[in-house]
Amino acid sequence: MVQLVHNELTSFSAVLQIGDSKEITSRAKVLAVQRQQELFFGNEGEGNFPLFTNPIPRLAMDTTSWQMNKLNESPAISVRTIRVLAISFSSVVHIGSTSTIDTEARVKHTRQLAANSGAKPALIAPQSSIRIIKDESSCLQ
Amino acid sequence: MNFTVINRDLQVGDVHIIAVTSSAVFLIGDADMINVASAFDTPPEALIIGPLVPLTPRG
Repeated sequence: MVQLVHNELTSFSAVLQIGDSKEITSRAKVLAVQRQQELFFGNEGEGNFPLFTNPIPRLAMDTTSWQMNKLNESPAISVRTIRVLAISFSSVVHIGSTSTIDTEARVKHTRQLAANSGAKPALIAPQSSIRIIKDESSCLQ
Repeated sequence: MNFTVINRDLQVGDVHIIAVTSSAVFLIGDADMINVASAFDTPPEALIIGPLVPLTPRG
């Protein structure tokens, strides 16, 4: 029994499940591009980025080598309040029993800044040395 | 290996989470097998300063 679930956003292959389930498989491949200017080339993301194709090593489980016995003495799960603002990128919020959860999220995040945007150089250009200048006049105030 | 689970009374009060993300799992209950993976790539070269050109895959 669940009294209250408050969820604002469930997105990008995320799952919000109340009740039992057998198998949940969820995949998300995300190409996140932030540009200083509003610009989108329609064919972006069609290319094959290695991050999206490289295999992620998984633990191979031998399900025959162990046996799990479950005894549901009390069949009910009692939940008062769950507040989850966001569920995202192949994640799972699950109230109840399940057998198998298999999720994978691959995110490639790129930022593009215009070269002559008038932004402060210190913000965008890596400097070879760091200089710390103590401003004593302001400290005395 | 034998593994025995006895589910007695399960009561959960108030749970407040900001976000469950990038292949995370929040589970009230039990599971046989959970397999999660997440890859996040934002290398130094992912910060591109220059003309706003389309992204192209590179090795």
